[in-house]
Amino acid sequence: MTGAPASHAVTLVATFAVFASCAVLAVVLVLTKVGREGRRRRQAALVAPLRPHLIAVSAGEDDGTARAVLAAADGPSRHAVTRAITDLLGKVRGLPAEELVEVLDRHGSLESAMADLRHASAVRRAQAAQLLGVSRVPDAVDALVAALDDKAAEVRASAAYALGLIGDPRAAAPLLRAVGAPDAGLPAGLAADALLGMGVGISGALGDALADPDPRTRTVAAHLCGVGSFSRALPCLRERLALDPDLTVRETCAQALGNIGRADDVEVLARHTRASHPLPLRRVCAEALGALGEDAAVPTLAALLHDPDPRLAELAATSLVRLGPCGRAALDAAAHERPVQSALTVAALQGVLR
Amino acid sequence: MEVSTPEGTRVLVADDDADIRELVEFKLSQAGYAVQAVPDGLAAWEAFESNPPHLAVLDVMMPGLSGFDVLRKIRESDHPRVPVLMLSAKSRDSDVDTGFAIGADDYVIKPFSPRELLHRVNTMLSRTRA
Repeated sequence: MTGAPASHAVTLVATFAVFASCAVLAVVLVLTKVGREGRRRRQAALVAPLRPHLIAVSAGEDDGTARAVLAAADGPSRHAVTRAITDLLGKVRGLPAEELVEVLDRHGSLESAMADLRHASAVRRAQAAQLLGVSRVPDAVDALVAALDDKAAEVRASAAYALGLIGDPRAAAPLLRAVGAPDAGLPAGLAADALLGMGVGISGALGDALADPDPRTRTVAAHLCGVGSFSRALPCLRERLALDPDLTVRETCAQALGNIGRADDVEVLARHTRASHPLPLRRVCAEALGALGEDAAVPTLAALLHDPDPRLAELAATSLVRLGPCGRAALDAAAHERPVQSALTVAALQGVLR
Repeated sequence: MEVSTPEGTRVLVADDDADIRELVEFKLSQAGYAVQAVPDGLAAWEAFESNPPHLAVLDVMMPGLSGFDVLRKIRESDHPRVPVLMLSAKSRDSDVDTGFAIGADDYVIKPFSPRELLHRVNTMLSRTRA
């Protein structure tokens, strides 16, 4: 008889606890938002008298007067101006950006940022890395490379972003290594974006990274070889496609060969569409044959239209569409196959077919 | 080489980022253009409808109507030939392709050079006048 009331009481307490937790969470969220808005308003109020000067410099319409006024800002205003300039540096380039950096330099903000890379607060370290990046300070490269080993993930990410903006290819190898660093990795997409900003000078580092022990590093390197058209890596990409123990690396190499491969690579990719290879790799190779754009791929792709895996057959059909008239002729011969019909419907919807 | 910028040439600028809005307005005003700057797509479309400008500079990602939405409306309006320059942080080839496919006359990627933006505006308007 006492079981039911006790259970009822437990339910009530649990319900109350859930509502109380929700209420506390809501209060915390509101307070955080109010605090952030308050800081934003204080920052705006501090910058307001100097805003016309900031806009004049950012628009490239300053004869030196506005920079002098901004450089003379003192106390909390100086800090607020530094933050406003950091924001603006993400929006303008060219002479205005150089002049904004000049103001930061006259404030001593760049020197402080170099020191702040070793600050106890991870937030300060991340902000320092960001400031050095948007200011494109070449002397900060070594310190930012060291920050790639920071224990805080946000600092590592900020350092990678900054190195991408500075664009010094000397940072390529450490960035690639950081992707696969044990217990302190860097998101692959972030590293790839940063590396793309460094131009052709990263070619050597990419070649080395394709042989790195960590598969994440090899994957990023293979991806960049494809999107950045690093054709010197073609032999290595072919070798990794054939022999790498990691399937993702092999798939990425196949995609890269589809992007930048030569006519000879039709045979290389075709070989990896055979049933003896893992299905995900066969699918990627079928897509890559379409991207490669060589008519010599038609017989391989036409044979795949009858594969037991409908997705692979559909991808082969899509690749044949991409190959143009020669591929379309092969599709016409298999027009009754469902994957072919599906691929043609998608292509029509995408406006590829007329 | 400076391109003449006749008084009274109206340019509509739409961007939800106050920094960008103000600096583009300042740059173009300094060059002699009459600039109307608005903070979102809907305000841009209303401004266009009430007083069609000679040229529009549109951000892509704005609250309410996007820059692409406004561009579509402009091309379907009674003043479809008004030159439109897209100014956006969306930098992928597919974004640029979309902008031109909808009917943009030019596409500038942020971060941008205000000086280059002014040159492009001057050039687009001088072509219109030719």
